[in-house]
Amino acid sequence: MIDPKPDIIAPVRVSLWEIFTLFLKVGLTGFGGGMAIVALTERMVVKEKQWVTPEEFLHGLAFGQILGPFSLNSCTFVGYRLRGVPGGLLAAVGFLLPSFLIVSLLAWLYLRFQHLALLQKALAGTNPVVIALILAVVLDMGKKQIKGRNDWILALAAFAAAALFKLNVALVLAAGLVWAFGTAVYRRRLV
Amino acid sequence: MLTLAWTFLKIGLLFFGGGYVLIPLLQHLLVEQYQWLSLREFLDGVAISQLTPGPLAILATFTGVRVGGFGGGLVATICIFAPCVVLMLLVGRYYTRLKEIDLIRITLDGVLPAVVGLVASAAWSLGATLGNLRQWLVLVAAFCLFRFTKVSPMLMILGAGLLGMLLP
Repeated sequence: MIDPKPDIIAPVRVSLWEIFTLFLKVGLTGFGGGMAIVALTERMVVKEKQWVTPEEFLHGLAFGQILGPFSLNSCTFVGYRLRGVPGGLLAAVGFLLPSFLIVSLLAWLYLRFQHLALLQKALAGTNPVVIALILAVVLDMGKKQIKGRNDWILALAAFAAAALFKLNVALVLAAGLVWAFGTAVYRRRLV
Repeated sequence: MLTLAWTFLKIGLLFFGGGYVLIPLLQHLLVEQYQWLSLREFLDGVAISQLTPGPLAILATFTGVRVGGFGGGLVATICIFAPCVVLMLLVGRYYTRLKEIDLIRITLDGVLPAVVGLVASAAWSLGATLGNLRQWLVLVAAFCLFRFTKVSPMLMILGAGLLGMLLP
């Protein structure tokens, strides 16, 4: 196998333990979610440790954004570039472990004390905030992603299908994907 | 437990275009289809998962614990994250040679308006849990804070929880 661009090899061979503990630290301190975590990871692995180059990190991020949770994906990517599959797996596990333990503990406490009046009140207080957060995301994404009439039709159709006609969300999403793929192929032919 | 594993594996395969596509998907599957969580529990679960640095998908852990204890949480977490970790490992291997990437990217960008619509529909059905005027006022206030300031969701949720406890 000949790569057009040879892999950039880290100046020092990074141990698996080092990878695991670094991403454990990211997973423990990276409050703020999403891009805040990516920024923290970048500062640690590109600027401080110089494990990967800035370009490489950006490539990983670009793919990570396509494939779902990009905070997790960029960790996996960096781990993989350093030490192959074990490195990638350890980076992912290290990053997720603190959140997994926190949520498990909180979920257990929640289920145990769900019926306490005080907790009920606290959680009732958070419900509108969570909905507001979702609405803020809708507005933010909408501003960035909805351009022109076709996008509006697609967005409104998806909303109507899920909210008013109660269609299966996964099906709506699949239909949207087929539609988007068709348009992408069609546009490419025109160019 | 097998249903749990299979369900979260499927969800893990489906989420792209940002974590928020998960909200309508999970709400549909967990609340309406399997009835593992009530709408209220779903909202509480989102609040709890926002308290951690992990992605929103960590909500899988919460659901798993609800359905099958600690083991259930572990299974759900592994299954929801396995597909994207595996895909990302493959990308790490082949990324210099992925030529069709622009087609995939354009397709995924193209579906984003539908994602916006679906996320809005989740907010629509979750709104049914709001009972009184005060909750609606909190919603409007929180929305404005999210829009016009940079307060982190975690702080907002903790603050709202405290307020909820202190107010009569």
